[in-house]
Amino acid sequence: MNPITAGILGSVLLVFLLFLGMPIAFVMMFVGFLGISYLTSIHAALPVVAKTVYETASHYPYTIIPLFILMGGFASSAGITRELYETFDKWFRRMPGGLGIATIAACAFFAALSGSSVAASAAMGTIAIPEMRRFNYAPKFAVGVVAAGGTLSFLIPPSLGFVVYGMLTEQSIGKLLISGILPGILLSVAFIIIIVVQVKLNPQLAPATPGDISFKEKILAFSGIWETILVFFIVMGGIYLGFINPTEAGAIGATALFVIVLLKKRLTLKNLTVSLLEATRISVLVLFLVAGANVFSYFLALSTIPMAVSNWMAGLQVSRYLILSIIVLIYLFMGCFLDAISMMVLTMPVIFPVIKTLGFDPIWFGVICVIMMEAGLITPPVGLNIYTLAGVVKDIPMQTIFRGAIPFLIPMIMVVILITLFPQIALFLPGMMGR
Amino acid sequence: MKVKQWIQRINYYACVIGMIFLLPLMLLTTGDVLGRKFLSKTIPGTFELSEYILAVFILLGAAYTQQVKGHVGVDFLTFRLNPRLRIICQILTTLLSLFIIWILIWYGYLEGIRERTVSDMLRIPQYPFRLLVAIGGFLLWLELLIDLFNLIGKLRRKGIP
Repeated sequence: MNPITAGILGSVLLVFLLFLGMPIAFVMMFVGFLGISYLTSIHAALPVVAKTVYETASHYPYTIIPLFILMGGFASSAGITRELYETFDKWFRRMPGGLGIATIAACAFFAALSGSSVAASAAMGTIAIPEMRRFNYAPKFAVGVVAAGGTLSFLIPPSLGFVVYGMLTEQSIGKLLISGILPGILLSVAFIIIIVVQVKLNPQLAPATPGDISFKEKILAFSGIWETILVFFIVMGGIYLGFINPTEAGAIGATALFVIVLLKKRLTLKNLTVSLLEATRISVLVLFLVAGANVFSYFLALSTIPMAVSNWMAGLQVSRYLILSIIVLIYLFMGCFLDAISMMVLTMPVIFPVIKTLGFDPIWFGVICVIMMEAGLITPPVGLNIYTLAGVVKDIPMQTIFRGAIPFLIPMIMVVILITLFPQIALFLPGMMGR
Repeated sequence: MKVKQWIQRINYYACVIGMIFLLPLMLLTTGDVLGRKFLSKTIPGTFELSEYILAVFILLGAAYTQQVKGHVGVDFLTFRLNPRLRIICQILTTLLSLFIIWILIWYGYLEGIRERTVSDMLRIPQYPFRLLVAIGGFLLWLELLIDLFNLIGKLRRKGIP
């Protein structure tokens, strides 16, 4: 059996075990181990898993992951989510679908503090959905808005999506995070546009909210967002100007939010335990996935499949944008079944060499990838944000949440197309960075 | 059933010990940056301490993450199978997981006791942290073993269809 055949058989076994429900990290380690044993020797393969796990778990840049998740946890404990929502409610109340717009804006600002989309959906779900239902918004519409808004945390830095992409492809995490800012703003605006369009087409979805807000109140409402803006500028500004590396930025952001929680006297043992346990669970999940991916990539590299695939792709006489479209479609499809991080971890060893061979910018592709992962969070039958929301609002069936979220795929695809046509949207800010 | 609860409690406390280190990690790095910017002094060994803390935190948290089913898998297909077949699939995948984690423990231990490296600044030996791969792996293995016994129990209760 030549290496390529072994690689293909290994990949088939991987997919088979995946569908049997084996945890993805363990599948990749297991198949990687078998493959390495076959292509080299059992003695070479035995230490690989233990070595990789230790090296992944003690790699300094990865400390950023728990820190980014802690930022979101502390921001929730500080009650920042509610303050953001109340501010934007005052500002956007008069617009069509105003509470929906306020939700998207609050999600976008919360995303500027949090690396995990689940935290955003859960926090916003408990605040925004009761409010929208109180004003007779259609339940489908209300949950759809929150599900979509929650995904913004994946694109707007700090973002776990970029960190994982950077880890897998060895790109600068700082540049990736900065590259998410403009597309994140663009996507938030696109979400707001789709809300206005939906409400204009069907005013039943969101009846106008009664009550006028004076200009003075609107100005005073600013007090609800200054903390967010301050922390965001310290963290991202520090990275942008090259004063601090992303890991340090994560630590400073988490410390700053921790101080805010203390100042507001919101620190309880329960809050702290919840934030820390959440940070542990997600960090362990991500780092075991990455360790698994590293073992599996080692096997794939031995099998020479990534090289063969990129050579074959490069030899095809078709436009590279056709191949890109196919990759985006594959991600859209896979996102229906896999969670975002697993999807990236499973595909990157093969997809990334192809992207490089085709001459696309790796930072730019990171943005495209992260937007596609966001789409995966809300597509049926498996969508993490939808599951989270279904846990928060128990009286709305899952199908309704999926149906409410589907219209928001349109702005995501539009933004992917826009960024492909004008890569500067993603590359302008990182291009001007200090380092 | 007593043993099972004991293991789960130990795994929970192992995770708690690991996660508490996150606070010093956060403060240490912040202190290092503030010192560097304002006092032109750094905290020696921040980098290597961060690495060790991350290792403690991740390796001790691995078993608890399995306890709350945090290691994600794809279950939408097996959910459509009949319950008995589903349990059989789960038993098979749990056995394979037990196998690969066993190799992790075995070589984690061998690599750990052979390790002689110390860290650059503070000269902290690396082997205790390397050995955590075996310890954390073993806790994770026990957690998987509990899953296996639960599944076998379920299969028995379902009886022969």
